[in-house]
Amino acid sequence: MLRRRRWRFAVMALLPTFAIFAWVRLYPIVQTLNLSLHDWNLLSKNKPFVGLSNFIELFGDRLFLTALGNTAIIAFGVMLLTIPSAMVLAGLIHYRTRSRFAGFYETSVFIPHVVSLVPAAMAWKWIFDAKLGPLNALITRLGGEPQSWLFDPYLSVLCVIILCSWQALGYAVLIFLVGFRNLPTSVYEAARLDGASGIQSFRFLSVPLLKPITLYVSVVTLISGFNVYAQAFVLASDAQGAPGRLVRVLVLDMLENSFRNYRVGYAAAEAVILLVIVLVLTGAQFALLRERNGR
Amino acid sequence: MHYTRNLRGSLLGAASLMVLALPAAAQEVTVWSGYPELGPFYEHVAEGMNAKYPDLKVNVEPIALREHEKRVALGITSGLEGATVIELPGSTASRYVENDLLPVPPQDVVDFVKDPANFGPFFVDAASNNGQVYGVPLFRGQGALFYNTEMFEAAGLTEPPKTMEEYTEYAEKLTQRDADGNPTVSGWSLRLSGGGQGIAEKFWINMFQYGGNVLEQTADGKWKADYANEAGLKALRQYIDLVQTKKTVTVEMPADAEAFERGQTAMFIRESWVIGDIAAKAPDLKYATAPLPVGSIALPGNLYVAGDADDADIRAAWDFVLATNEPDNLVWLLANVGWLPNRSGVDYSSVTDSVPQFAAFVDYPEGYKFFTLPSIGPIEEVLTRLAAALSEAYADPSLAGDDDKIMAVLQRAEDETNAILEREGLLGE
Repeated sequence: MLRRRRWRFAVMALLPTFAIFAWVRLYPIVQTLNLSLHDWNLLSKNKPFVGLSNFIELFGDRLFLTALGNTAIIAFGVMLLTIPSAMVLAGLIHYRTRSRFAGFYETSVFIPHVVSLVPAAMAWKWIFDAKLGPLNALITRLGGEPQSWLFDPYLSVLCVIILCSWQALGYAVLIFLVGFRNLPTSVYEAARLDGASGIQSFRFLSVPLLKPITLYVSVVTLISGFNVYAQAFVLASDAQGAPGRLVRVLVLDMLENSFRNYRVGYAAAEAVILLVIVLVLTGAQFALLRERNGR
Repeated sequence: MHYTRNLRGSLLGAASLMVLALPAAAQEVTVWSGYPELGPFYEHVAEGMNAKYPDLKVNVEPIALREHEKRVALGITSGLEGATVIELPGSTASRYVENDLLPVPPQDVVDFVKDPANFGPFFVDAASNNGQVYGVPLFRGQGALFYNTEMFEAAGLTEPPKTMEEYTEYAEKLTQRDADGNPTVSGWSLRLSGGGQGIAEKFWINMFQYGGNVLEQTADGKWKADYANEAGLKALRQYIDLVQTKKTVTVEMPADAEAFERGQTAMFIRESWVIGDIAAKAPDLKYATAPLPVGSIALPGNLYVAGDADDADIRAAWDFVLATNEPDNLVWLLANVGWLPNRSGVDYSSVTDSVPQFAAFVDYPEGYKFFTLPSIGPIEEVLTRLAAALSEAYADPSLAGDDDKIMAVLQRAEDETNAILEREGLLGE
């Protein structure tokens, strides 16, 4: 009887939190799923049910397919660039710079993560500028050919990857640092006694021991990579005086379909596809790392 | 007991005094504009209304056009609080009107718009839907050629180009290059990149000079795409020829009004607001304007009122809209901002006489033609998707000199446009 009352109390205590969570988190997802099966122009009171036709149309839409391809390249590019460099940087900060400047290094790596995105992207836009940018000035000084960073179909995607990685790096380093600080020192001492070098300890001890952290950081980085929007928008936005090549990404395509083309159901179908991709990739990452850990 | 009664009386008295001391409830009107340069104009109009509405507070909120479009879409559908004056082209407003999201104006406003002494039928139609007036015409975007007279003189050119073939010849002569032959000043700045439908609108303007239109109305009153043809081919070929072959302009070169004001391009096609922009940002620039070879786009901007507000505030908003069309304010608009007012019967000569660059916009040759964007729901989607196809084509060097490939690009884009029209039940026979 007492147990039952306790259980009831626990449910009652949790109910408000769960209700808020359901309203704020679950309802929008369910509503998006529902909208994706309807044709709605944002303005009309009618939302005719169209089944899967939004999804079928999407897979024949070249702008959507371009956006999907670009987004996937950017998300994986950011992850591939960020994870190894963050791990190495965190390792360096943790093992090599136990000086009074350690805090400074951590802060300087983390700052890009907290800097407002728009001014940061504007600064990067200047760096990538074909005529006035310091990057091309450096390349020219080194004897190379200046590049149209923001206009070339491939380089413009690379620019978005660099900008996103620059932003994501600080957070990843911070999480890896926490991981490094929680690694058992006895294992490293034993390795040292066995004659392992610093690099060998990093390669054969730190990397495997940090797998749970790597999983978490890579999932977070990948998800945020799939949600890329502002970086692509600012680097090549509507600025008429000095426009750039618009790198079409999924969120930008969704916004365009919702508020310019007035096709909210269609944009919701894109959102559902994005959700499925992120869920599948996250599941795959978990499975992959679990499998390896099992071995 | 006696003390309590006294206290209650004192509190009541104090509260009454406070209520009396409060100012009369102020009326409030918000103005949403998609052109930041129009902000001072609306503020000027608001100042002029002080005598009639001493307590009227006008919040002028101009933002960039694409953001404005999103704001309007979200604002109107989720319910606007307070009387809001919204600036929209008729082609965009039609969506809201068809869904009963923009109210019919008071009768005196309708009469003002319908009065032939105030507006020509083109502008009345652009502010109406099925014959019912919903908005008040204010200004229009109309294109003309802007050219740098000093650069023309240096290139030995004495007059503006008159045909599209001459535009290409002039672009070649006007392009300035470095020792390696790379262009440093573009001969003719073209809209080649960036997002949004502007790329398609600019292409349409050029194609119009060759006798083409992106959309044509069919006999059944519907529409069909009509640019995978000779006019479309000539227009796109010219773009690709200038960008990829003659390299009089490149995708990465500074473009548009900013480039013109900084002397980074010799000529470009734009609306009259550039005159006001040059006056503010590059007053020493030596330039002139000229009509386009065949005709121009005329994109009327109208004012509508929406929002959940009491009748007095809605009335004040409509009075604000009418005030924008007062002759003094329209002359101020032309003189200080540069957008062309649509109202007829107003003497603009004080401005047009002192700023000769306006001549190309008001004294165009006989038979000069105009086109506008059709007032159909999917117009933005049609143009945005065409713009995406065009910007890819402009950057594709493999299209240079290959008419078949260029035509294939146009055909693919035209099919996409017709598919959009068909989906919306607007595809004509």
